[in-house]
Amino acid sequence: MQNNQDKIAISIRNVTQRFGDASQPDSVLALDNVSLDIKKGEFVCLLGPSGCGKSTLLNVVGGLFKPTSGTATVEGRLVDGKPHPDKIAFVFQESTLFPWYTVIENFHIALKFQGIPKAEWDDRAMAALRAVGMASFARHYPDQLSVGMRQRVNMARGICVKTDILLMDEPFAALDEQTRMVLGEDLSQLLAETGKTIVFVTHSLSEAVFLSDRIAVFTARPGKIKTIIDVDTPHPRSPDFMLEPKFSELRNECYALLRDEIRATMALQRDPQAV
Amino acid sequence: MASLSSATSTPAASSTPIWSRFARSPFWLRIALIAAILLLLEYYGRFHADPAFMRPPSAVVEAFFTSVISEPKIVSALWLCITEISIAYGMSVVFGVAIGLIVGATKFSRAALFPIILLLFAIPQVSFMPLVILIFGLGPAAKIAFGFSHGIFPIIVNVVAGMRDVKELHLRGARSMGASKADIIRHVILPNMVPSLFTGLRLGMTLTLLGVILAELYVSTGGVGYYTRVFAENYNPAPLFALITSLAVIAIFFNEIVRIAENTLTPGKRRAPRIQSKSVQK
Repeated sequence: MQNNQDKIAISIRNVTQRFGDASQPDSVLALDNVSLDIKKGEFVCLLGPSGCGKSTLLNVVGGLFKPTSGTATVEGRLVDGKPHPDKIAFVFQESTLFPWYTVIENFHIALKFQGIPKAEWDDRAMAALRAVGMASFARHYPDQLSVGMRQRVNMARGICVKTDILLMDEPFAALDEQTRMVLGEDLSQLLAETGKTIVFVTHSLSEAVFLSDRIAVFTARPGKIKTIIDVDTPHPRSPDFMLEPKFSELRNECYALLRDEIRATMALQRDPQAV
Repeated sequence: MASLSSATSTPAASSTPIWSRFARSPFWLRIALIAAILLLLEYYGRFHADPAFMRPPSAVVEAFFTSVISEPKIVSALWLCITEISIAYGMSVVFGVAIGLIVGATKFSRAALFPIILLLFAIPQVSFMPLVILIFGLGPAAKIAFGFSHGIFPIIVNVVAGMRDVKELHLRGARSMGASKADIIRHVILPNMVPSLFTGLRLGMTLTLLGVILAELYVSTGGVGYYTRVFAENYNPAPLFALITSLAVIAIFFNEIVRIAENTLTPGKRRAPRIQSKSVQK
């Protein structure tokens, strides 16, 4: 038991998150008693209909939201509504690069926020930029890059801080399909090389199956984990993985699980009294 | 070598007629339009206008040399005007930014103080002119005070607006990376404010000019305003126009300073053309 605990990177216990006062009719129960353990070096996708609270859970783990009840523990340390930038890096759906700094200055500032000594800034930043093929754009401003390039840089910034855990909130949602796939491959490669623990929020079925070791499928709001699906294929995964029968089987399985939930969400939107 | 370079450069230049190249260049079209208007004014002023009310531009230029910059009193009045604008504007910037930072610092201070600022900004200040003169007298102090009271408000308002419109995403990103409160102010809120600050500085400059020149025209006993009145009352429009043009040149000069400062100090904006992802995708 003790031995097992060492391998757990993130432990989520009975997390409930309610926005607004429970006595008010407009309060929203986003997460309902969610528990999940994520192992070190594991890639876990949170998959679910929009508005099911998967991003909320990510924010709880990252310490940006304080849960109404329940706890999240990261490498044995209780996350209590405070970010732990030494352990966790975030990549958000939209690029959070600061438009007033150049690409390289954005990396420097991230490293500065994390308290990393100045001497290491340049090496780390350039290594991460090289890893995503953006090294020649170090002196550009984010506005000068295309959306796909910006998100690649944004991802590289999450990598360069060298935390063990990377939380990604639909990082590829704003990208076109091809860029998505290329970045997905990059990410799989990265996972194999660095052994980072990655929690990844998405509502793309293919993305979830292609990237994950495990997929946590959420119910419609209030969000609960409906099922956990294992994808038993080692990283790095090549695009050929998508052609295997196993890939479409898993994708169909996820879709079948989600379809009911999406219908439930739609019914709820049409008539809130019915459910 | 020489023949090669001339062969590549000349045909393109000579094959398009000059007028079409002018028409395609916004700069030259603008110059041509201004020249045309001046010519029209020249024609009208020479052959149709009553010389007591309007003189052609050529006579205005002549008057600029013969009765404006040749008059030491008028020249020193213009210098005084420039000094007054500089002082009024400097004060507007220092106090405007400071007050803006205080008001915009927290939600609480903004809710408490910003309505007062907006209320004061909305008052047409010309109605206070007699009071300003009563307090500050007829000298430069009144003009500086009037320029200051005009210039400070747009600066405060835009500093507050710039601090308020920080993107939630940038704040969340900074916090997730472990930024402290001071880090967020220094690296997120302040740089985010810069474009809005410059909008305020530009508007502040325009209104400072307005304030100082309004006061000039209204009260002064020896400044630019005094001479415009003298020329106007003596039906001497040429030096009057020359003097007004000088004021306009001063205004353009000050506005240009702010514009150049904005272009050089705003980071990450339109520094180079946008790059398309196609050209770099592997």
